[in-house]
Amino acid sequence: MAQRAGVKIQCRGISKSFTAQKDVLHVLEDVSLAVYENEFLVILGPGQGGKTTLLNIIGGLLMPDAGDVLLDGKPIEGPGPDRGIVFQQYALFPWKTVEENVAFALTMAGVQKGERMAAAHHYIDLVGLKGFEKAYPAQLSGGMKQRVGIARAYTANPEILLMDEPFGALDAQTRYAMEKDILSIWQKELRTVVFVTNNIEEAIYLGDRVVVMSAMPGKVKSSYVIDTPRPRNYTDPKFLEIRKMISNDTDLVL
Amino acid sequence: MQPRKIKTKVMSVLAPLASATIFLLLWQAASMIVSSQALPSPATVFKEAIRMFSIKIGGNSIWMHVFYSMRRVLIAYFWAGLLGLPLGMYMGWNRTFDKIVKPVFELLRPIPPIAWIPIAILWLGIGESPKIFICFVGSFVIFVLNSYIGMRYVDSLLIDAARAFGASKRQQLFNVAIPASLPSVFAGVQNALSTAWMCVLAAEMVGAREGVGFLILQGMDLNKPAMILVGMALIGLIGAILAVMLRLLEKGLCPWRKELV
Amino acid sequence: MHTAEKPAEHATSPPCVPGGKKLETVREDEAYIRRAARENWISVVSFLLFLLVWELVCRLGIIGPFQLVPPSQVTWVLLDKLVDPNPDGALLQEHILTSLVVALTGFSAAAVIGVPLGLLMGWYRPVNTLVRPLFDAVRPIPPIAWIPIAILWLGIGLWAKAFIIFLAAFVPCVINSFTGIRLTNPVLIRVARIYGASNWETFLKIGVPSSVAMVFTGLKLSLNAAWTTLVAAELLAASQGLGYMIQLGRRLSRPDIIIVGMLTIGFTGALMSLALTAIESRFASSRKLN
Repeated sequence: MAQRAGVKIQCRGISKSFTAQKDVLHVLEDVSLAVYENEFLVILGPGQGGKTTLLNIIGGLLMPDAGDVLLDGKPIEGPGPDRGIVFQQYALFPWKTVEENVAFALTMAGVQKGERMAAAHHYIDLVGLKGFEKAYPAQLSGGMKQRVGIARAYTANPEILLMDEPFGALDAQTRYAMEKDILSIWQKELRTVVFVTNNIEEAIYLGDRVVVMSAMPGKVKSSYVIDTPRPRNYTDPKFLEIRKMISNDTDLVL
Repeated sequence: MQPRKIKTKVMSVLAPLASATIFLLLWQAASMIVSSQALPSPATVFKEAIRMFSIKIGGNSIWMHVFYSMRRVLIAYFWAGLLGLPLGMYMGWNRTFDKIVKPVFELLRPIPPIAWIPIAILWLGIGESPKIFICFVGSFVIFVLNSYIGMRYVDSLLIDAARAFGASKRQQLFNVAIPASLPSVFAGVQNALSTAWMCVLAAEMVGAREGVGFLILQGMDLNKPAMILVGMALIGLIGAILAVMLRLLEKGLCPWRKELV
Repeated sequence: MHTAEKPAEHATSPPCVPGGKKLETVREDEAYIRRAARENWISVVSFLLFLLVWELVCRLGIIGPFQLVPPSQVTWVLLDKLVDPNPDGALLQEHILTSLVVALTGFSAAAVIGVPLGLLMGWYRPVNTLVRPLFDAVRPIPPIAWIPIAILWLGIGLWAKAFIIFLAAFVPCVINSFTGIRLTNPVLIRVARIYGASNWETFLKIGVPSSVAMVFTGLKLSLNAAWTTLVAAELLAASQGLGYMIQLGRRLSRPDIIIVGMLTIGFTGALMSLALTAIESRFASSRKLN
């Protein structure tokens, strides 16, 4: 699916360190990578490898110590609805209903109620939560909450979608189902997606391209193009071959 | 499941009744063992209660005394909330402001509100003002503390989500931080009221001619334990009613918190 | 970033490393201290400004000497009270000691009786059924409301004060211990039963240790209540102690004595609370080693 379209995001020489009390953690070191338009890019790496930090920098929630991120050629200066984020721990507002959560970005932008609810309902349908518009997050299961998170990100009408290990907190079965769903949603409403995970199978199942990162301090190790047609099969020999290749490369203990 | 539901419902009515009965029996027994001058029996106290409700004590009926106390509490509580909640929230939201206000607040906070009574009387004389002032001080501190904690410990993930979807600083504060801090704020709301109630009692016992605190002090001065006990029961009852009302209010305002149901 | 440093680990805070081990860290103690100083100078300045304004307001006569005295005078009176028993009849230390003794006695009695009682009530149904009626009747009545009847029963003296303080400190101990043990993880209880532990053993070895945190919360609340109630009791009927001191300060129109007293009360209360927190962390860390 990934024809070489233009470069949507360019990360140039990103470095980031954190200071916690008396210790300094070097989380990212000179990370450069490109994300192409409408591709489904997966960033694969071990836990604590700085992947989330990188995603947050692209999302504008953090500023790098060195380097910058260009979106369509222009440097990013902060967070914004042009980059939608799906968080691992859902980050839904418990006092808002599902539809209010989903419509949040539009509410912040001052869009009229009728218009924003229509958009919200469209995406609530798309993620398969029709009928739950007036429910509160506390009444939903983990998988459902994450669907709300995805709908919320989509409703913001972003140029790119950043997904931070979104299925990490879910059980295996729900996870497989969500992986299928996110692909079908992505294929219906095409966007550029940057998807972070520490799960090799998930990476190969989903991605047009898989970028492998090392453990802390995070650096880009290698990049793999996966052009097997979708839907992919976990037990397909080609799949397993790619899996072997990548797993030899990573610092992941699998 | 029907018989079990019925059983639980019956138990939830019977249990408190049984408790109350046991309590009354113990009381009756105690009053017979100890001299009834010191500990009057439940019946005596009940009769005294009826008597008290039909006469004037110190120039006012019981209802007036309750009114005086409640008025002091509510005025103080209202102002304490009006000033304390925004202050605490802003301290929790803005680090710099917090650092500016912190030292003075930390100096005054550990001083129990009751310890302010002498200086309040020195400054404001003997009248309504010092009593309202004491209640204010007590509940103000609670309001500030609880709203501060609520705001300060808002999950930063929620703030990140708000930022990610385009919320300005102002929008982050009003649309996310304040609702997120509501549970803590409500704890403060309840605590502040019970504190104010305690403070008004203390203030009235130090020097007043009306109010429930005055009532029980009168009982002491007139050497009538029954009167004191009626007053105490009244105080406990009012406190409990206020607490229940606040809890209902919280349930109404926060429909998403299923743990309150 | 303007977002306040929050305890949770999210975008604006550093990643957590498993096992507590930090890969490639650099220890910079000096930089830490320098940073702490830099971040808190505002508080220091603010406090000094506050003292300055206070001092000027009094010296310039904006508020008269019978209402407020400047911090310099407060300091002087504070030091003076350490050696001069006038005008209230005792040195500051003696007042502190008197108050402390009564408060701590009441508090200890309440803790020694209240904590085990709360734990037992939370664990054993019959105990709960027996004690509950009495407890629920006493609970809604603020401890201060007990003062008149206590004085009627026990006169104006140590016993009345001790009784009221005991009541004030008793309730939070019981409630928090009760809640703490009720929150014991049922999985742990089941495990104990599988290994053949009796109810009593399970109570002692599983229930009690898991409620330590809440017990300490209760103790802190209890101590605070004891201290506050003591001040109230001393205000109304005493001849020594910090509460008495500030009351006398009012009668003599000596705001300086009142302020010294108030600050001492606040400071002592805060110190005791800190002591409890220190004991708790010592307790908790020794548990972790087990």
